[in-house]
Amino acid sequence: MEVFFQTLVAGVLKGGLYALIGLGMTLIMGVMGIINLAHGQFMMVAMYITYTLFHFFGLDPYTTLIISMPSLFLLGLVIQKFLLNPLMKVESILPENQVLMTVGIAMVLTEVARFIFTSNYLSVRTSYSSSAFYVGGISFSVPLSIAFILACLLTLGLFLFLIKTDLGRSIRAVSQDSGAAELMGIDSAKIKVITMGIGAGLVASAGTLLLPIYYLFPDIGGPFTTKAFIITILGGLGSTVGAIFGGLILGLAESFGATYIGMDFEDLVGLIIFLLVLLFLPGGIRRLTKV
Amino acid sequence: MKRPFGQLFLLFLLLILPLVIREAYYQHLMILVLMWVAIGSGWNLISGFTGQVLFGAAAFFGFGAYTAALLSSKLGLSAWWGLPLGGILSVAIAFPFGWICFRLRGPYFALATLALNEIFRHVATIWESLTDGMIGILVMQTFVSKAPYYYVALAIAVVSIVVIDRVMQSRWGYYFVSIREDQDAAESMGINTLYYKMLSLCISAFLIGITGALYTNYMGFIDPKVVFSLHDISIMAILVGIVGGVGTIYGPLVGAFIMVAVQEIFRSGGFGLLNFIGRSTGWPFMSSITKFVGDAHVLSFGILVIIVILFLPNGVVGDWPVIRKMFVRSKDQAV
Amino acid sequence: MRICVFRLLAVVSLLLMGIGVALAAEGPIKVGVVLPLTGEQAKFGEIEKNSLLLGLDEINKAGGVNGRKIELLIEDDTGKPDVGRSAVEKLISQDNVVALTGGYSSSVTYAVCAVAQQRKVPFLVSTGSSDKITEQGWNYVFRIAPPVSEYPKALNSFLSEVVKPQSVAILYENTLFGQSGAKAFNEQCSKSGIKVLTREGYEAGAVDFKPMLIKVKAAKPDFVYMISYVMDAALLMRQSKELNFNPKLFVGGGAGFTLPEFAKNAGAAAEYVFSADLWSPQLPYPGTKEYFENYKKRFGGPTEYHGAEAYGCIYVVADALKRAKQLTPDAVRDALASTDLMTAFGPVKFVSYGKKKQQNALPTYLVQWQKGILQTVWPKNVATKPYVYPVPEWSSR
Repeated sequence: MEVFFQTLVAGVLKGGLYALIGLGMTLIMGVMGIINLAHGQFMMVAMYITYTLFHFFGLDPYTTLIISMPSLFLLGLVIQKFLLNPLMKVESILPENQVLMTVGIAMVLTEVARFIFTSNYLSVRTSYSSSAFYVGGISFSVPLSIAFILACLLTLGLFLFLIKTDLGRSIRAVSQDSGAAELMGIDSAKIKVITMGIGAGLVASAGTLLLPIYYLFPDIGGPFTTKAFIITILGGLGSTVGAIFGGLILGLAESFGATYIGMDFEDLVGLIIFLLVLLFLPGGIRRLTKV
Repeated sequence: MKRPFGQLFLLFLLLILPLVIREAYYQHLMILVLMWVAIGSGWNLISGFTGQVLFGAAAFFGFGAYTAALLSSKLGLSAWWGLPLGGILSVAIAFPFGWICFRLRGPYFALATLALNEIFRHVATIWESLTDGMIGILVMQTFVSKAPYYYVALAIAVVSIVVIDRVMQSRWGYYFVSIREDQDAAESMGINTLYYKMLSLCISAFLIGITGALYTNYMGFIDPKVVFSLHDISIMAILVGIVGGVGTIYGPLVGAFIMVAVQEIFRSGGFGLLNFIGRSTGWPFMSSITKFVGDAHVLSFGILVIIVILFLPNGVVGDWPVIRKMFVRSKDQAV
Repeated sequence: MRICVFRLLAVVSLLLMGIGVALAAEGPIKVGVVLPLTGEQAKFGEIEKNSLLLGLDEINKAGGVNGRKIELLIEDDTGKPDVGRSAVEKLISQDNVVALTGGYSSSVTYAVCAVAQQRKVPFLVSTGSSDKITEQGWNYVFRIAPPVSEYPKALNSFLSEVVKPQSVAILYENTLFGQSGAKAFNEQCSKSGIKVLTREGYEAGAVDFKPMLIKVKAAKPDFVYMISYVMDAALLMRQSKELNFNPKLFVGGGAGFTLPEFAKNAGAAAEYVFSADLWSPQLPYPGTKEYFENYKKRFGGPTEYHGAEAYGCIYVVADALKRAKQLTPDAVRDALASTDLMTAFGPVKFVSYGKKKQQNALPTYLVQWQKGILQTVWPKNVATKPYVYPVPEWSSR
């Protein structure tokens, strides 16, 4: 029984982080209709920012959120404005040009990070990095729990933003029907720029929260990009509720897969769920919940 | 085929190339170029001509490579049987995959192929009793000389270009392009889109699969990370396609040459030129420049992609008139 | 337009050939090196390259090889076999090297070995740890490092003499190093009557090992044998501590568990962890300590066993060049085959045993982290500190 509950806890805590990664991606996919294959690399950049601030200025990793999120917001803005938006005007054979562009961006970000920080593994060690508390014999990692709580708060904030503010409503409008939104007087190019910024900012928070328990090197982005699009497809495009459930489901599936099938199947479980959802539940969880 | 002359001349030159350039180093680079021509052509057929972007070329490449390797390690046959069989088995994989996943469109199909790529890599890693996992499989090379491999690679490259050229001139090609342009319109015109997308994918998988089998024969060692590599195979195939020219017959040829050349130039510091300058002039900063250039090879790929997509969305071949205008404008004005 | 493309091709290749000819000038004895200097494996490629250069300068300062200097031509393999092959083809056909060394990842090393054997140029492998590399009957391929299956030699005698365990759980990363090491250790255990309770692989770079560890904990093995790279190793130990998992001992299979970053990242969880090891700066070989100190002085960071392998390699190559009757690849091969040299990495002598050919049979060691310092604890004759066993439980530390 201990095995079961410990697996459950591990899955839920990891799922919280995954949800945060998926949220940014789902916003981008909903509004832009493209897959951002540089998503994990955005996260990597944020982790390097946190590392630098921690290492050179002695800032606590969690306080660096104040800096890493806006920085990535800006990076997202710049990339969307100067690299992705211009593509809408470029005549080309493949509509997937924007996706291919994000591949190029991912490569550039990774290699620039390698130039500056080399391929060495870096990590941020704090006093609470490897502490844990116990509830009924089940261990809860302190930093993962903090990350989980912060992830919940950020998600809540995003919700309020999308529902209560004008900008948030505009984003939702573009996500639902960009043509109609434009007729209503919304500048969809501008909304896309802002959405990319918010998406990058969200994944930045995931990176910063992950760093104290994990480690960092330039190639870290790739696997998280994969997880991000799995979560998004699982949850349904543009669905914030879906992304949260998608993240939790992926976290739980990985944990239970690792415990009851084998740790080598951890990644495979996620990929297979992804294919199954794509084929048998197109639209993801959103189709079930209609949110 | 307005000028079969040019093509025949090029073919003739490629045929006598190993007789003229006898250095194994350049022959090896040419073999790599020819392999990428075949892979790029395969990618281009399904993605460039039919519009279904393939993000998992390595799935078929690796499948072909493992077919050849397993024939040799498990059945004791020559790995050369992997060439036909690797192609056929890749088609056998492409068939159910396409059948199931072609209901997906655009980026979803691309993601599904990416997932297939990753699934294959994991399975090949985990299934140790069959594939020996990451320990990899060794196949003894048949020839010491490079020439036989060169000619096999050349044959595959020529076949892939000719096949795609023929296909694209036939009715099939017309259907492929109409699916790319507007799938719903194609469907309403009575084209069985699933059937033609399958056809396109199977031809692609075949070409990529036999190239994978050739890779096993030529390199003599494979492991899942090498042949199912998302980065070094699948994305490289896309780069070859988009740099050369999406939806052009000769795009992959040019793209393959550019990509292999770029990789090698950066890796070796301009073929040792930078080192040579550094040594003969004694400038101390030359060695750091050499290191910088060496480190930049993946970066250069990334920048190349961004530039090509922004400014040459149809690749070097597709946008050749644009490139030409940029360089010979002054001459034209003079005339 | 196609002709244009071709013309460009022809001009470029002509240019390149010209450069190639210009570079092949007379000079020092040329030795080729193939190492990953960019990409994911660059870190170790860099350590090996630095160690080679350190050794090279020492040799050349001391008069080189019979008065002639050695020149190392270092090529980047970027961690990919086809690129490694490009590199070695260039070294052999353009630079006319008399010998090759280096070789980090096994897949690249294998590709390089095949070319070296075909072109009859001796290749001294510094790392490439796949067992298969020296099992092909190739007479131009030598390896200074033991194959991966032999890393835990010292551990086996420690287990049978001191711990006498009944059961084990084997955890390994899904890489060549992990999978072949786990396989070899599994066989070793069944031979010596230790029951293997679970054998679990994982994809390197996992975020959370708790599901696997909780399962292993429930199986109650006497000890855990882990083959992991440094950051995974640190996570495994930290999460074991969080789960309060107390087997009699934790043993690492070399690689990640011996690096300083492991202790730094695992913190208190690294204490008393054992590991198999090939080399440590405290070993009583001539030059070992000096190598470690000089490396630190020149490159500003600590070195480890990969570096020592490369450092040993350059001395073995220099020794072979000295003894070679002529400076041809064949003569150098013959000289390498009769190597009997003491290096900072350990004694080097290429022998054939079992399926292996021209393999250096090196003793291995068991090390333990004690108060944040890696101490050699087994075999007893080279131990720097006595081993701590039984290991106290997490709660009583």
